[in-house]
Amino acid sequence: MRSSSATHVVAHGLVRRFGDLTAVDGIDLDVGEGEIFGFLGPNGAGKSTTVRMLVTLLKPSAGSASVAGFDVASQPNEVRRRIGVALQDAAIDPLMTGNESLRLQAVMQGLGGRPGQQRVGELLERVGLTEAGDRRVGTYSGGMRRRLDLALALIHKPSVLFLDEPTTGLDPTSRQAVWEEVRSLNDEGTTVFLTTQYLEEADQLAGRIAIIDGGTIVREGDPAALKEAVGDPTLRLEVADPSRQEAAQGILARFGGERPARAGRIAIGLRGGTGSLASVIRALDEAGIAVGHVEVDSPSLDDVFADATGRRLEGAGS
Amino acid sequence: MTVTDLHPEQGRAGGFVPSAPLLTALIQRAVTRMIRLPAVLAPTVIMPAFFITAFTGSFDGISRVEGYPTDNIVNWVAAFAILQSCAFAGIGAASAMATDLDTRFIDRLLVSPMRRGLVLLAPLGQAAVRALIPTTIILLICVLKDASMPAGILGVAMVYVGGMSMAVVMGLLGLGVVLLIGNIRAMALVQVISFLVLFPSTGQVPIELMDGWLATMARWNPATPVLAMTRQGFLGEISWSETWPGLLVIGGGLALFGAFARTQLRRLDG
Repeated sequence: MRSSSATHVVAHGLVRRFGDLTAVDGIDLDVGEGEIFGFLGPNGAGKSTTVRMLVTLLKPSAGSASVAGFDVASQPNEVRRRIGVALQDAAIDPLMTGNESLRLQAVMQGLGGRPGQQRVGELLERVGLTEAGDRRVGTYSGGMRRRLDLALALIHKPSVLFLDEPTTGLDPTSRQAVWEEVRSLNDEGTTVFLTTQYLEEADQLAGRIAIIDGGTIVREGDPAALKEAVGDPTLRLEVADPSRQEAAQGILARFGGERPARAGRIAIGLRGGTGSLASVIRALDEAGIAVGHVEVDSPSLDDVFADATGRRLEGAGS
Repeated sequence: MTVTDLHPEQGRAGGFVPSAPLLTALIQRAVTRMIRLPAVLAPTVIMPAFFITAFTGSFDGISRVEGYPTDNIVNWVAAFAILQSCAFAGIGAASAMATDLDTRFIDRLLVSPMRRGLVLLAPLGQAAVRALIPTTIILLICVLKDASMPAGILGVAMVYVGGMSMAVVMGLLGLGVVLLIGNIRAMALVQVISFLVLFPSTGQVPIELMDGWLATMARWNPATPVLAMTRQGFLGEISWSETWPGLLVIGGGLALFGAFARTQLRRLDG
């Protein structure tokens, strides 16, 4: 029996263990119909394991989850009929053409004959691969493969689309193209569950995000609200003479709490915002510490992550 | 158009998509891959020619030994060359599964509403289709080497039944091992198993001409009755007494390795 369709992805106390390792440790999720939900976290945080449970590729060790109103453990085929999945490693056969891949995918979703062929044509056009449709996938660029992967996930017009790191390894232009397509799909009513380690991607696309770290969700909510909750902007500073870094740290501590920063830099949450910047520079100048580089950023999702975990996300600027 | 419009059969029990068109499409994919990957197709064509040439060349004189059942060694070893080549066809299907595991293409299959058994049936279909190639090549070589076929068309049919059955049975064993180990490294083990099964048999020499442990191994080797079943058309008429032991072994292999492969397949489902 199908439950309410107002929420499209729901998880309660979802757990997945691999032997002694608990990869996902009791997470709760609630994704509404028509939402783009960003699932953010570093490598190994449990993102892909969570997605693999939601798309019925892995059975939960404990807890429950439902997608499009159907339980992932007891009604997996009902879930599979309603979801589109583009997994991280874009499992596309390089020996098949784009056209053949889509036709096979159509049959895999019970869509054969003329309707299937018509849908294949529509999708090739939609993702801009009509001309490349008869070429083997092995000759496609990374961006073309991702677009084909997206088309494969859309063949049966799923109501929920799972995108696992959809733009990893893509150049900025290809990334933008994928983002545009995701927005367009969402405008058409598709619920999108997007996992990513790119902060900008989550910021650009997601109406709501959850941050996962160590298998548990450490923050969840509207990106703007989460950033606002972090509070003060981040001041990042590099002293000209590295031997004076410790002294500079002592001075900066008077202006705000320390935040994670990459080696060679000091970061604090600047109390009073940019208005306090002049006082900081003056204090350092009075101590005879020359500043090599200084910047003040409004709170970002990276700051939200750092605030929740004490670390910066891999690949994120600091 | 809604999802429901695209799936008129959505109300079916279990929510599976129709199996027949999907199985056809998956076998078609496997055959297409085989054709487009010459490195895979070449052994399928070259190995049977190599087997029959090597066996007949090395052991040609044995047909003059008293008690050897035929005066043309090709009549005896053709079945061995065919089963050996078809075993490789089965192993090739398992190898295709290993590639799908390595590339995660298997996830694409598992996340679709298909019956799980198709994950095994598709490569087995490929194995059966692929077995047709070496069987036909060896039969053509047999014609060139003046082999006899007193059983006529029934004898030829028996050769194809034996060859395709060997491909499917070895395919099931290979699929089970590949799913157990989880990657392409499983293939080395599967190949060793195929050699261990086929060589200590009556492939080249009848039991009556063997001594000691070789004769004992050949007598109890499950490949021996399958060889006898496949070979009978080269030596005389088709008889039930030569056929049923081979069918029994094939049936047993299908049941045993089928259960093994299905058990391993279930592990893929999380």
